[in-house]
Amino acid sequence: MGEVLTAGTLLGAAGGEGGAHGASYEGLFVYLGIVVVILFLFLANAKQGLNNRVFKKWTTQWTEQLYLFIENMTVGIIGGHGRKYIPLIMALWMIIFVSNIVSLFFPTAPTADLSFNLALALISIGYVQWEGMKANGVAGHFSHFAGPKLGGGLVLISLMIFVIELISEVMKNVSLSLRLFGNIEGGHQAVVAMNELGAGVYIPIGFFLLPVKLLTCVVQALIFTLLTCVYISLVTHHEEEGHEHSHGELAGAH
Amino acid sequence: MTGHVFGLGIGLAALGVAIGLGLIGYSAMQGMSRQPEAIGKIQTAMLIALAFVELVFLLTVFVVPGSLKI
Repeated sequence: MGEVLTAGTLLGAAGGEGGAHGASYEGLFVYLGIVVVILFLFLANAKQGLNNRVFKKWTTQWTEQLYLFIENMTVGIIGGHGRKYIPLIMALWMIIFVSNIVSLFFPTAPTADLSFNLALALISIGYVQWEGMKANGVAGHFSHFAGPKLGGGLVLISLMIFVIELISEVMKNVSLSLRLFGNIEGGHQAVVAMNELGAGVYIPIGFFLLPVKLLTCVVQALIFTLLTCVYISLVTHHEEEGHEHSHGELAGAH
Repeated sequence: MTGHVFGLGIGLAALGVAIGLGLIGYSAMQGMSRQPEAIGKIQTAMLIALAFVELVFLLTVFVVPGSLKI
Protein backbone atom coordinates (compact mmCIF):
# COMPACT_ATOMS: atom_id res chain seq x y z
CA MET A 1 0.00 0.00 0.00
CA GLY A 2 2.99 2.26 -0.40
CA GLU A 3 4.91 4.46 1.91
CA VAL A 4 2.70 5.84 4.67
CA LEU A 5 3.68 9.13 6.19
CA THR A 6 4.43 8.57 9.85
CA ALA A 7 6.26 10.60 12.46
CA GLY A 8 9.32 8.54 11.67
CA THR A 9 9.54 9.64 8.07
CA LEU A 10 8.70 13.19 9.10
CA LEU A 11 11.24 13.36 11.88
CA GLY A 12 13.89 11.50 9.92
CA ALA A 13 16.65 10.35 12.22
CA ALA A 14 14.91 11.66 15.32
CA GLY A 15 11.95 9.30 14.87
CA GLY A 16 14.02 6.16 14.69
CA GLU A 17 12.49 3.10 13.11
CA GLY A 18 9.63 4.82 11.35
CA GLY A 19 6.73 4.82 13.77
CA ALA A 20 6.78 1.10 14.53
CA HIS A 21 5.81 0.45 18.12
CA GLY A 22 7.06 -3.07 18.57
CA ALA A 23 4.56 -5.02 16.45
CA SER A 24 5.76 -6.99 13.46
CA TYR A 25 2.78 -6.02 11.29
CA GLU A 26 1.63 -2.56 10.53
CA GLY A 27 -0.40 -0.88 7.87
CA LEU A 28 -3.37 1.39 7.71
CA PHE A 29 -5.92 -1.06 6.38
CA VAL A 30 -5.39 -3.68 9.09
CA TYR A 31 -6.31 -1.14 11.73
CA LEU A 32 -9.04 0.42 9.63
CA GLY A 33 -10.54 -3.07 9.35
CA ILE A 34 -10.43 -3.45 13.13
CA VAL A 35 -12.20 -0.11 13.54
CA VAL A 36 -14.90 -0.95 11.00
CA VAL A 37 -15.52 -4.37 12.60
CA ILE A 38 -15.86 -2.84 16.08
CA LEU A 39 -18.27 -0.19 14.79
CA PHE A 40 -20.32 -2.73 12.86
CA LEU A 41 -20.61 -5.13 15.80
CA PHE A 42 -21.57 -2.37 18.22
CA LEU A 43 -24.16 -0.80 15.92
CA ALA A 44 -25.63 -4.16 14.86
CA ASN A 45 -25.96 -5.07 18.52
CA ALA A 46 -27.54 -1.70 19.26
CA LYS A 47 -30.04 -2.07 16.42
CA GLN A 48 -31.54 -5.21 17.99
CA GLY A 49 -32.69 -3.15 20.96
CA LEU A 50 -34.81 -0.89 18.76
CA ASN A 51 -37.73 -3.35 18.89
CA ASN A 52 -38.77 -2.39 22.41
CA ARG A 53 -40.73 0.75 23.09
CA VAL A 54 -38.28 1.53 25.89
CA PHE A 55 -34.63 0.86 25.08
CA LYS A 56 -33.45 -1.88 27.45
CA LYS A 57 -30.22 -2.90 25.73
CA TRP A 58 -27.23 -0.97 27.01
CA THR A 59 -25.71 -0.59 23.54
CA THR A 60 -28.94 0.98 22.29
CA GLN A 61 -29.03 3.33 25.26
CA TRP A 62 -25.43 4.39 24.68
CA THR A 63 -26.01 4.97 21.00
CA GLU A 64 -29.07 7.06 21.82
CA GLN A 65 -27.06 9.12 24.28
CA LEU A 66 -24.33 9.56 21.68
CA TYR A 67 -26.91 10.67 19.13
CA LEU A 68 -28.38 13.18 21.58
CA PHE A 69 -24.91 14.51 22.36
CA ILE A 70 -24.03 14.97 18.69
CA GLU A 71 -27.44 16.48 17.93
CA ASN A 72 -27.07 18.90 20.82
CA MET A 73 -23.65 19.99 19.58
CA THR A 74 -24.63 20.27 15.92
CA VAL A 75 -27.88 22.15 16.49
CA GLY A 76 -26.27 24.32 19.15
CA ILE A 77 -23.47 25.48 16.85
CA ILE A 78 -25.00 25.48 13.36
CA GLY A 79 -28.54 26.38 14.37
CA GLY A 80 -31.95 24.96 13.48
CA HIS A 81 -30.99 23.97 9.93
CA GLY A 82 -28.01 21.98 11.23
CA ARG A 83 -30.11 18.89 11.75
CA LYS A 84 -29.33 17.59 8.26
CA TYR A 85 -25.59 17.55 8.99
CA ILE A 86 -25.97 15.10 11.91
CA PRO A 87 -25.21 11.93 9.84
CA LEU A 88 -21.89 13.35 8.61
CA ILE A 89 -20.88 14.64 12.02
CA MET A 90 -21.91 11.41 13.73
CA ALA A 91 -19.98 9.28 11.22
CA LEU A 92 -16.87 11.43 11.64
CA TRP A 93 -17.17 11.31 15.43
CA MET A 94 -17.59 7.55 15.60
CA ILE A 95 -14.80 6.66 13.20
CA ILE A 96 -12.37 9.06 14.88
CA PHE A 97 -13.35 8.02 18.41
CA VAL A 98 -13.11 4.29 17.75
CA SER A 99 -9.81 4.77 15.93
CA ASN A 100 -8.48 6.70 18.90
CA ILE A 101 -9.67 4.00 21.31
CA VAL A 102 -7.94 1.39 19.12
CA SER A 103 -4.72 3.33 19.65
CA LEU A 104 -4.97 2.57 23.39
CA PHE A 105 -4.85 -1.20 22.88
CA PHE A 106 -2.93 -1.70 19.65
CA PRO A 107 0.56 -0.60 18.62
CA THR A 108 -0.79 1.95 16.18
CA ALA A 109 -4.14 3.19 14.90
CA PRO A 110 -5.69 4.69 11.76
CA THR A 111 -5.65 8.16 13.29
CA ALA A 112 -1.94 7.77 14.11
CA ASP A 113 -1.40 7.89 10.33
CA LEU A 114 -1.26 11.29 8.65
CA SER A 115 -2.69 10.06 5.34
CA PHE A 116 -5.92 8.83 6.97
CA ASN A 117 -6.34 12.08 8.89
CA LEU A 118 -5.71 14.10 5.76
CA ALA A 119 -8.41 12.11 3.98
CA LEU A 120 -10.87 12.84 6.81
CA ALA A 121 -9.97 16.53 6.75
CA LEU A 122 -10.35 16.67 2.95
CA ILE A 123 -13.82 15.11 3.24
CA SER A 124 -14.80 17.59 5.93
CA ILE A 125 -13.45 20.74 4.24
CA GLY A 126 -14.60 19.63 0.79
CA TYR A 127 -18.11 19.17 2.13
CA VAL A 128 -17.92 22.62 3.71
CA GLN A 129 -17.04 24.11 0.28
CA TRP A 130 -19.93 22.21 -1.34
CA GLU A 131 -22.37 23.43 1.30
CA GLY A 132 -21.09 26.99 0.94
CA MET A 133 -21.64 26.84 -2.81
CA LYS A 134 -25.14 25.45 -2.29
CA ALA A 135 -26.03 28.13 0.26
CA ASN A 136 -24.51 31.21 -1.42
CA GLY A 137 -24.02 30.18 -5.04
CA VAL A 138 -20.61 29.56 -6.58
CA ALA A 139 -19.83 33.26 -7.13
CA GLY A 140 -21.19 34.19 -3.72
CA HIS A 141 -19.07 31.56 -2.03
CA PHE A 142 -15.89 32.76 -3.67
CA SER A 143 -16.69 36.44 -3.13
CA HIS A 144 -17.07 35.47 0.54
CA PHE A 145 -13.30 34.94 0.55
CA ALA A 146 -12.61 38.52 -0.57
CA GLY A 147 -13.87 40.07 2.66
CA PRO A 148 -16.12 43.16 2.78
CA LYS A 149 -16.90 45.08 -0.40
CA LEU A 150 -14.35 47.84 -0.99
CA GLY A 151 -14.50 50.39 -3.78
CA GLY A 152 -11.92 52.24 -5.89
CA GLY A 153 -8.23 51.47 -5.39
CA LEU A 154 -9.00 49.31 -2.39
CA VAL A 155 -9.76 46.43 -4.78
CA LEU A 156 -6.06 45.62 -4.45
CA ILE A 157 -6.60 44.98 -0.73
CA SER A 158 -9.59 42.78 -1.57
CA LEU A 159 -7.33 40.77 -3.87
CA MET A 160 -4.79 40.31 -1.08
CA ILE A 161 -7.52 39.25 1.36
CA PHE A 162 -8.75 36.77 -1.25
CA VAL A 163 -5.33 35.16 -1.61
CA ILE A 164 -4.81 35.00 2.16
CA GLU A 165 -8.27 33.52 2.72
CA LEU A 166 -7.59 30.93 0.02
CA ILE A 167 -4.36 29.94 1.77
CA SER A 168 -6.11 29.74 5.13
CA GLU A 169 -8.82 27.57 3.58
CA VAL A 170 -6.15 25.13 2.40
CA MET A 171 -4.40 25.30 5.76
CA LYS A 172 -7.64 24.22 7.47
CA ASN A 173 -7.02 20.76 6.01
CA VAL A 174 -3.48 20.75 7.37
CA SER A 175 -4.50 21.99 10.79
CA LEU A 176 -7.38 19.51 11.19
CA SER A 177 -5.30 16.51 10.14
CA LEU A 178 -2.05 17.50 11.85
CA ARG A 179 -3.81 18.16 15.17
CA LEU A 180 -5.36 14.70 15.27
CA PHE A 181 -2.19 12.99 14.03
CA GLY A 182 0.06 14.89 16.42
CA ASN A 183 -2.04 14.13 19.45
CA ILE A 184 -2.45 10.41 18.83
CA GLU A 185 1.05 9.75 17.49
CA GLY A 186 2.52 12.01 20.18
CA GLY A 187 0.75 9.92 22.80
CA HIS A 188 2.34 6.78 21.30
CA GLN A 189 5.78 8.34 21.34
CA ALA A 190 5.33 9.48 24.95
CA VAL A 191 4.28 5.97 26.05
CA VAL A 192 7.24 4.41 24.22
CA ALA A 193 9.67 6.91 25.75
CA MET A 194 8.32 6.35 29.27
CA ASN A 195 8.44 2.58 28.82
CA GLU A 196 12.10 2.89 27.94
CA LEU A 197 12.53 5.00 31.07
CA GLY A 198 11.25 2.17 33.25
CA ALA A 199 12.85 -0.66 31.28
CA GLY A 200 15.71 -0.96 33.77
CA VAL A 201 13.43 -1.74 36.71
CA TYR A 202 10.82 -3.68 34.65
CA ILE A 203 8.00 -1.21 35.31
CA PRO A 204 6.02 -0.09 32.23
CA ILE A 205 5.69 3.52 33.35
CA GLY A 206 4.00 4.37 30.05
CA PHE A 207 0.85 2.57 31.16
CA PHE A 208 0.19 5.31 33.68
CA LEU A 209 -0.30 7.61 30.70
CA LEU A 210 -3.33 5.64 29.48
CA PRO A 211 -5.95 7.72 31.38
CA VAL A 212 -4.46 10.88 29.87
CA LYS A 213 -4.54 9.24 26.45
CA LEU A 214 -8.21 8.31 26.98
CA LEU A 215 -8.98 11.96 27.70
CA THR A 216 -7.06 12.95 24.57
CA CYS A 217 -9.06 10.43 22.51
CA VAL A 218 -12.41 11.90 23.56
CA VAL A 219 -11.27 15.51 23.24
CA GLN A 220 -9.70 15.06 19.81
CA ALA A 221 -12.79 13.37 18.37
CA LEU A 222 -14.87 16.17 19.88
CA ILE A 223 -12.62 18.91 18.52
CA PHE A 224 -12.53 17.52 14.98
CA THR A 225 -16.34 17.37 14.76
CA LEU A 226 -16.74 20.67 16.61
CA LEU A 227 -14.47 22.45 14.13
CA THR A 228 -16.34 20.85 11.22
CA CYS A 229 -19.57 22.23 12.71
CA VAL A 230 -18.01 25.67 13.12
CA TYR A 231 -16.77 25.68 9.51
CA ILE A 232 -20.21 24.63 8.25
CA SER A 233 -21.89 27.30 10.36
CA LEU A 234 -19.48 29.92 9.01
CA VAL A 235 -20.50 29.29 5.39
CA THR A 236 -24.23 28.75 5.96
CA HIS A 237 -25.03 31.18 8.77
CA HIS A 238 -26.89 33.75 6.65
CA GLU A 239 -30.10 31.77 6.69
CA GLU A 240 -31.02 32.50 10.29
CA GLU A 241 -30.27 36.01 11.46
CA GLY A 242 -31.89 35.61 14.86
CA HIS A 243 -29.09 33.62 16.46
CA GLU A 244 -26.38 35.81 14.99
CA HIS A 245 -24.64 36.60 18.25
CA SER A 246 -24.88 33.07 19.62
CA HIS A 247 -22.07 31.74 17.45
CA GLY A 248 -20.35 35.08 17.06
CA GLU A 249 -17.75 34.15 19.67
CA LEU A 250 -17.08 30.86 17.88
CA ALA A 251 -16.38 32.79 14.71
CA GLY A 252 -14.03 35.00 16.68
CA ALA A 253 -12.13 32.00 18.01
CA HIS A 254 -11.58 30.66 14.54
CA MET B 1 24.74 20.49 17.00
CA THR B 2 21.51 20.95 15.06
CA GLY B 3 19.84 18.43 17.33
CA HIS B 4 20.76 20.50 20.37
CA VAL B 5 19.30 23.62 18.80
CA PHE B 6 16.16 21.65 17.91
CA GLY B 7 15.82 20.44 21.50
CA LEU B 8 16.14 23.97 22.83
CA GLY B 9 13.58 25.17 20.30
CA ILE B 10 11.12 22.45 21.31
CA GLY B 11 11.57 23.47 24.94
CA LEU B 12 10.94 27.11 24.14
CA ALA B 13 7.85 26.22 22.08
CA ALA B 14 6.53 24.06 24.91
CA LEU B 15 7.09 26.93 27.34
CA GLY B 16 5.12 29.40 25.26
CA VAL B 17 2.31 27.00 24.48
CA ALA B 18 2.05 25.99 28.16
CA ILE B 19 1.66 29.65 29.13
CA GLY B 20 -1.02 30.07 26.47
CA LEU B 21 -2.94 26.96 27.54
CA GLY B 22 -2.72 28.07 31.16
CA LEU B 23 -4.13 31.49 30.31
CA ILE B 24 -7.05 29.90 28.44
CA GLY B 25 -7.83 27.54 31.31
CA TYR B 26 -7.47 30.35 33.86
CA SER B 27 -9.83 32.71 32.13
CA ALA B 28 -12.31 29.95 31.26
CA MET B 29 -12.46 28.81 34.89
CA GLN B 30 -12.91 32.39 36.03
CA GLY B 31 -15.72 32.87 33.56
CA MET B 32 -17.36 29.60 34.60
CA SER B 33 -17.25 30.48 38.28
CA ARG B 34 -18.74 33.89 37.61
CA GLN B 35 -21.49 32.59 35.35
CA PRO B 36 -22.17 28.91 36.02
CA GLU B 37 -25.17 29.01 33.68
CA ALA B 38 -22.87 29.73 30.70
CA ILE B 39 -20.61 26.72 31.31
CA GLY B 40 -21.64 24.95 28.09
CA LYS B 41 -20.82 27.86 25.81
CA ILE B 42 -17.60 28.69 27.64
CA GLN B 43 -16.43 25.09 27.42
CA THR B 44 -17.06 24.95 23.68
CA ALA B 45 -15.14 28.15 23.02
CA MET B 46 -12.41 27.02 25.41
CA LEU B 47 -11.94 23.70 23.61
CA ILE B 48 -11.65 25.43 20.25
CA ALA B 49 -9.11 27.91 21.61
CA LEU B 50 -7.16 25.07 23.23
CA ALA B 51 -7.05 23.25 19.90
CA PHE B 52 -5.68 26.27 18.08
CA VAL B 53 -2.97 26.92 20.66
CA GLU B 54 -2.02 23.25 20.73
CA LEU B 55 -1.62 23.26 16.96
CA VAL B 56 1.26 25.73 17.24
CA PHE B 57 3.28 23.24 19.24
CA LEU B 58 2.41 20.38 16.89
CA LEU B 59 3.51 22.50 13.93
CA THR B 60 6.79 23.17 15.73
CA VAL B 61 7.36 19.48 16.40
CA PHE B 62 6.48 18.22 12.93
CA VAL B 63 7.45 21.02 10.56
CA VAL B 64 10.71 22.36 12.02
CA PRO B 65 12.66 19.06 11.61
CA GLY B 66 11.73 18.97 7.95
CA SER B 67 12.90 22.52 7.34
CA LEU B 68 16.14 21.97 9.29
CA LYS B 69 16.81 18.67 7.43
CA ILE B 70 17.79 16.66 10.52
